[in-house]
Amino acid sequence: MKETLRYGFILGTICIVAGGLLAGINFLTKPRIIAQAQAEEESALKEVMPEGESFEPAKKENGVIYYRVRDKEGKYIGAAFKASGKGYSSAVDTLAGMSPDGQIIAVKVLSQNETPGLGANVVEPPFTGQFAGKNIQDLEGVQAITGATISSKAVIDSVREKGKEIFELIKDEK
Amino acid sequence: MKNKLTVNISPHLHNNESVSKIMWIVGISLIPAGAAGVIIFGLNALTVMILGILSALVTEWLMQLLAKRRITILDGSAFLTGLLLAYNLPPGVPLWLPAAGSFFAIAIGKQVFGGLGQNIFNPALVGRVFLMASWPKYMTTFTKPLNFDAVTSATPLAVLRESGVIENISYLDLFLGRRGGCIGEVCILALVAGALFLFWKGYISWHIPVTYTAVFAAFVYAFGGDGLFRGDWFFHILTGGLILGAFFMATDYVTSPLTRKGQVIFGAGCGILTAVIRLWGGYPEGVSYAILMMNAATPIIDRFTRNRIYGTMIPVNRK
Amino acid sequence: MKKLFREFFKGVIKENPTFVLALGLCPTLAVSTSVVNAVGMGAAATFVLMGSNAMVAMIKNNIPAKIRIPCFIVVIATFVTIVEMVLKAYTPGLNRALGIYVPLIAVNCIVLGRAEAYASKNTLMNSLFDGLGMGAGFTLALTLISSIREYFGSGKIFGYALSHKFEPVSIFGMPSGALLVIGILLILFNRLKGRKS
Repeated sequence: MKETLRYGFILGTICIVAGGLLAGINFLTKPRIIAQAQAEEESALKEVMPEGESFEPAKKENGVIYYRVRDKEGKYIGAAFKASGKGYSSAVDTLAGMSPDGQIIAVKVLSQNETPGLGANVVEPPFTGQFAGKNIQDLEGVQAITGATISSKAVIDSVREKGKEIFELIKDEK
Repeated sequence: MKNKLTVNISPHLHNNESVSKIMWIVGISLIPAGAAGVIIFGLNALTVMILGILSALVTEWLMQLLAKRRITILDGSAFLTGLLLAYNLPPGVPLWLPAAGSFFAIAIGKQVFGGLGQNIFNPALVGRVFLMASWPKYMTTFTKPLNFDAVTSATPLAVLRESGVIENISYLDLFLGRRGGCIGEVCILALVAGALFLFWKGYISWHIPVTYTAVFAAFVYAFGGDGLFRGDWFFHILTGGLILGAFFMATDYVTSPLTRKGQVIFGAGCGILTAVIRLWGGYPEGVSYAILMMNAATPIIDRFTRNRIYGTMIPVNRK
Repeated sequence: MKKLFREFFKGVIKENPTFVLALGLCPTLAVSTSVVNAVGMGAAATFVLMGSNAMVAMIKNNIPAKIRIPCFIVVIATFVTIVEMVLKAYTPGLNRALGIYVPLIAVNCIVLGRAEAYASKNTLMNSLFDGLGMGAGFTLALTLISSIREYFGSGKIFGYALSHKFEPVSIFGMPSGALLVIGILLILFNRLKGRKS
């Protein structure tokens, strides 16, 4: 019994010291981690809406559904939204920018874990570039990558579906 | 000579066949299928075959030189590996592809394990799977049959996978090989002729190929259609590489079980795996993966189907 | 001083964690797709190895033998968490590329293996250099594997496309390609060491 207590005490001490140390490091790094995450999101949003200056999240219940985008003069120029589809071996997350009349401005794949050299090519401009200028109602012209139909479809279908949904929401906005 | 064949438990039957004679005879039995491939897809197919064989021979020679083993490039086994690999390629591939595939098949699939008789996996299929994983774009682009302008077309199985409907193609066309596919797999008539020759010479037994095909057909018939027992099993047998795989690759002496019972288990496993991959898997075709998986299981099958040594008791407690 | 150097070099060649001890192969397969990832992973693991080795060597006399493994794990997990927070704060790109494998350093067999087999029996300085040497060996192995994989798998080196074009062999970008590369390197390594199986 005494032995057990001693073991517990030693392990407990080590845990308390470790916990204290981690709390200290966390205090030091947390602000930077949050800032990094924000900067990253900002730059991704800028990439799909190059004209945009302010990105105001449109929230509903417990999350951001899309971002209202305004340019330098404060004019409303469209929405940016995230879409997620199931690819060949992973979930493919995409960020897309759309003008108020439903035209896609740019598409960027945020995260994926598809087959390197094949499905993973959905992040490359030859594929994502095809979206620019197409209307959300008609994405037929976007060609799937040869040999990577499933990964390509994940992006195309998820953007189309989510885009139509967001389009219904924003078409009356100014 | 010690390493050339796995020695089964006695009693041994002796005959005068040497390993290389068997290899060359199997090679001869593959000629009709290759000739059919050249007729259907043009001289391109012949170039692919020659390059596959040449690269296999050169690699075998290099690897044996490096490992200071006896040079045995004329025993026919490397020739056969190169030829079978080429049979598993689409006819319109860039010419470095069969060379790279044969190199990998011989170097990694065979010589790394210690040469003929030591390899766990069928070298030609190792080469094909390597190419499939490395350059899927070329491995899934097929040329149209009997059309020498290199028009691409999908294989019947790829059409089935993409759209879910069976292409409108007659059984006769499939049987004669008028479809898109790999060089050596399309002409079922030629393949069956070669296989019958091997049966007649007694170089392959019915156990693996027949169980493979029968179990596969039964499985597809049961689960491949809209409801139970409505699958088009005949279509599935005639398309893809099933006949080539079942008669010429699953029967490879080195990588299949030794006993008759083991061979039946092996064939049944191949059949089920092929059907499962074709019906529910990510690829339209599953013959090569099925055979490789069963190759991996061969040591276990051998272990549990071992013949009892004549005159001994069944061991009660094996260590 | 000479002894410390020996402790260091032992981990690089003679007891290389990847090629000789064959420890920590899971992160090796997963993160050796590009040289940048490999060096980042190697540096993170080296830091954890040095930290945990030093800490274990310091407290080894106060830990009862019966509960040494949980104690080691707490120490290791602490260092891993520090690495993860620092990576997130200062190099978010690398952190995303390494993904789950940063927290998984905690269960990397090299780290616990060295704590148990070496640091708990040796002095602080020796353990520190052992950790550094093992980390260097791990980093070196990862760099070697990843440069081969990156070159053949994507035709790039250090993330830059090379001038001459060839069709990338995409199997090298997959885990199966990593196994192949490790296997071939193991053959060469054993050959160089003159060891015959």
